[in-house]
Amino acid sequence: MRAYLMITHSVTDRLLGLRRSIGLFLLTGSIAPILLVLAPGRSDEQVAASYNDITVGLGMSILFPVAALIVSTAALGEERKAHTLPFLLLKPVPRWVIALAVVTAAALASFLVLEVGVLASWIVAGAVTGEWSIGTATTVAVAVQSVASAALFVPLGLVLGRAALVGLGYLMIWELILGDVIEGIQASSVQRIVISAWADLAKLTPDNLDTVNEVLGRVEPGVGGAFAKAAALAIISITVTGFLLRRRDLVPE
Amino acid sequence: MTGPHGATDARDVSDATVVVTDLSKWFGQKVAVSEVSCSFGPGVTGLLGPNGAGKTTLLRVLAGLLSPSAGKAAILGRSPRSHHGVYRQVGFVPEDEAVYNHMSARRFVEWSAALSKVEDARSAARQALGTVHLTEDADRSLSGFSKGMRQRAKVAAALVHDPQVLILDEPLNGTDPVQRARLIDLFVRLGGEGRTIIVSSHVLAEVDRMASRVVAMVNGRLAAAGSVTALRDAMSDTPRLIRIDTDRPRRLARRLLAGNWVESVRVDPAGIEVRTSDAGALGHDIPIAAVETDSVVTAVSAEDDSLESVFRYLVDQR
Repeated sequence: MRAYLMITHSVTDRLLGLRRSIGLFLLTGSIAPILLVLAPGRSDEQVAASYNDITVGLGMSILFPVAALIVSTAALGEERKAHTLPFLLLKPVPRWVIALAVVTAAALASFLVLEVGVLASWIVAGAVTGEWSIGTATTVAVAVQSVASAALFVPLGLVLGRAALVGLGYLMIWELILGDVIEGIQASSVQRIVISAWADLAKLTPDNLDTVNEVLGRVEPGVGGAFAKAAALAIISITVTGFLLRRRDLVPE
Repeated sequence: MTGPHGATDARDVSDATVVVTDLSKWFGQKVAVSEVSCSFGPGVTGLLGPNGAGKTTLLRVLAGLLSPSAGKAAILGRSPRSHHGVYRQVGFVPEDEAVYNHMSARRFVEWSAALSKVEDARSAARQALGTVHLTEDADRSLSGFSKGMRQRAKVAAALVHDPQVLILDEPLNGTDPVQRARLIDLFVRLGGEGRTIIVSSHVLAEVDRMASRVVAMVNGRLAAAGSVTALRDAMSDTPRLIRIDTDRPRRLARRLLAGNWVESVRVDPAGIEVRTSDAGALGHDIPIAAVETDSVVTAVSAEDDSLESVFRYLVDQR
């Protein structure tokens, strides 16, 4: 337990470096100024509907997955590139504990980075509409996003030099394009898992509902199912990462 | 000793803690280490070789960072790849300059101690940092450390859990002469306490000063193993250079040239340098020649009994 906590703490600390955190906050926080621009002259309901649309259409489709991707691929990828993996690996700690701690750290750091952006838009939307529970669903959704992204991209960062680029390709091609076209892959789409959690909790207007249903396709809204899928992904990820840490050559020739 | 002449076989030591058996490691078409068998025991062993000889690859396989393509490596009887518990007894200083730049030296060493299951990590870290003379800078960020200071922080982190086996890949890189001398003294002391210290270097003089035993690698293969002196003695067909300090260098030089084991002599005001094909015969003849020429001999030393000459010879043989 001590080793798990120490590795989680140190990896989280590194992932939340000042430059990266500021850069990602500028990315995830960009919903707030858009809302500020849109709010004047609109009713509270219209602002709330805009908040929902932008959160789904921009935040959960592009900004949040990209930010979580950058953080998660860096969790082990940076250690590999910086040649600091020996300090982590040559310790009497089981590989699965290291994998669990790194995935936890990636999820935690992703959540904190995303939540700062969510909070910014939450404060703007809450102040304009007076509806202060408006950001709760988004907070739950970014929690699911953080766990699922950490599960997918931590092992990718360990094995690929350009994991962030490959991950970006996955998000754009698999999630955004193929996910729309091929119904069969929608149930395993991280983007749809995240939006299904959000849609279960958010107060949606009929217009919002149309947009959400269009994105979700065959996936039913449900926060419990979303967390269960994210947790299943995390367990698979920890197993795979632990295996890779045990079996692969982890330093360059 | 294995190697050029196979005079004696010193690849293995009797009280081995680290054993390498028929170890090969290749990356695609490139063979980095080829069929190396040797062992390491208590004391300081220098792992020598020019850049690209396979030293770092061998140490990384030993540490469990790389898997062997063939053969095996075991520390304290266990493979580190499959028995992570062995790391309680192993410290490793990688060649790479990298450290955790987001940590202070104290946090880095404490972190290493805690992950190595040291009970009182704080106290152990304080002691390890003191050992490498980093106490005053312990709370500074590693990102602001010089290369030499980073090396010392890495050494502190490697020995904070009091390991039985210490694997050091070019640990003196980037250190200034004072730091280097202190680290060499530290390694010699740790080796003297019965720990197995494996130090790689391509700076021969450093290894000469700290290692009682040398394992030399050339082109991925084991070229030689044994004490420096034993290695040198095995090269019996290589002329040796002997320095004789005397008050009458010219007379003594003329006399020694009469012996057919002397190939050449160079005279200077303080003495002579004799190149000989038979150091034993020359050693026997020196006191006789000194008496005959009424010369006072103040010192006799082997000028090329250094790793430099041993190593150059081994490289030439390959």
